[in-house]
Amino acid sequence: MEFPRDTPVYEVFAQREALSFPTHVGSVRASSPEMALQMAREAYFRREAAYDVWVVPESAITRAREYPEVLPVAPEEKTYRLPGGYDNAPLWKRFKAEAQTIEQVAEEMAAKKEGRS
Amino acid sequence: MQSREEAFMARVQSGEKVEVMDWMPDEYRNLLIKQIHMHGISEVMGAYPEREWVMKAPTIRRKLALNAKIQDEIGHGQMLLRLAEDLSQPYGRGREDLMDDVLDGRVKFHNVFHLEAPTWADAGVIGFLVDGGAIITQAMLLGSSYAPYGRMLKRIVAEESFHMQHGESVVLALAAGTPAQKAMLQGAIDRWWPAMMFFFGPREMGASSRRMLDYRIRTMTNEELRQKFINRYAPRIQALGVSIPDPALKQDPATGQWSYTDPDWDWFSYVVHHNAGPRSADRLGLRREAHDGLRWAREASLQAARHFAKEADHGISAGYAGL
Ligand SMILES: [Fe+2]
Ligand SMILES: [Fe+2]
Repeated sequence: MEFPRDTPVYEVFAQREALSFPTHVGSVRASSPEMALQMAREAYFRREAAYDVWVVPESAITRAREYPEVLPVAPEEKTYRLPGGYDNAPLWKRFKAEAQTIEQVAEEMAAKKEGRS
Repeated sequence: MQSREEAFMARVQSGEKVEVMDWMPDEYRNLLIKQIHMHGISEVMGAYPEREWVMKAPTIRRKLALNAKIQDEIGHGQMLLRLAEDLSQPYGRGREDLMDDVLDGRVKFHNVFHLEAPTWADAGVIGFLVDGGAIITQAMLLGSSYAPYGRMLKRIVAEESFHMQHGESVVLALAAGTPAQKAMLQGAIDRWWPAMMFFFGPREMGASSRRMLDYRIRTMTNEELRQKFINRYAPRIQALGVSIPDPALKQDPATGQWSYTDPDWDWFSYVVHHNAGPRSADRLGLRREAHDGLRWAREASLQAARHFAKEADHGISAGYAGL
């Protein structure tokens, strides 16, 4: 059996902070997952800090672009599924009440939390 | 010297986040499992009352929207169950066990999903008030000390934005409609308001809810959440020309606090603990049908996974070489 000329490829994902999601940043070659983390640190994190870094063997990744039938596409109109598909504000106004958005609720709940601590 | 438990408590109280592989006290793990399991199962069971209205929705657009909302709720159930499964790993319990629990009465789900939804206005008011209440709770949980829960809730809350607008749209259309439509809306508000007062839990929180507050799994009391809800929804319902079935509902102009009539705590809690609501048995029956009816598919899936693992083990090319 022929010995491979290069070490395996690991894809690198980084998470900036606890409440953010890991994002793909690139890949490295390394002899083991631990080494891949070392290499990732050298290659991608010379300046910024990260909350967490994931390395995943390239061979473990299955990509939807290779299976077009499962690739999410949105050919038909889907406004019924989106908040922007509803124009409630004029009706609320007619009833002399304020329209509300989920962002306002989230803001209110977050403000309260800071007040507590 | 500070114990490991005390150090953990100090960490979470200072705002630090916890990940699934971090060391955590058993008590913290068990509270998280209880909370997230119940949340996930409630998402799944919450699809049943609305499912009754997909076939009967008045327009194709309403049908599409309701169907899309149900898909979202089942999706939320799956996201949350994944978190509960990860936490349950030390107990050797996975998806199959966590789903069995609801059928065997080992996990509760929200009181509102045990109730009847007899009219189209009920389908609207579920989106308006039940999703509205759930959004308040979930927005509070965005600040949870358990980071995987906080992250997942970010995704969930983003989708709930459409549920909120959809529910309001149905309710607004009825409020602006014929006398019969207005009466239908009034009937639904009469049915759902007391259930929503129960939804946030007792005025005095139980021991485990108080511990969740200590651990910052949650950041507000039941009463704080209920006040937020009333403050947001009571004026809007009244503006629609619909009355709220509570003569005691009143805001103290000085403190801003709302007084309200207590819901029938004993009855609702009996319903939740014994699955004894008017529609509990029917909906659990449908859940059991789906669970049992699709057992063959889950088993076939397991077989396929075993087969795939074996093939990957030998290397597919080695398999071909043997031909
Ligand atoms: Fe949901
Ligand atoms: Fe929802």
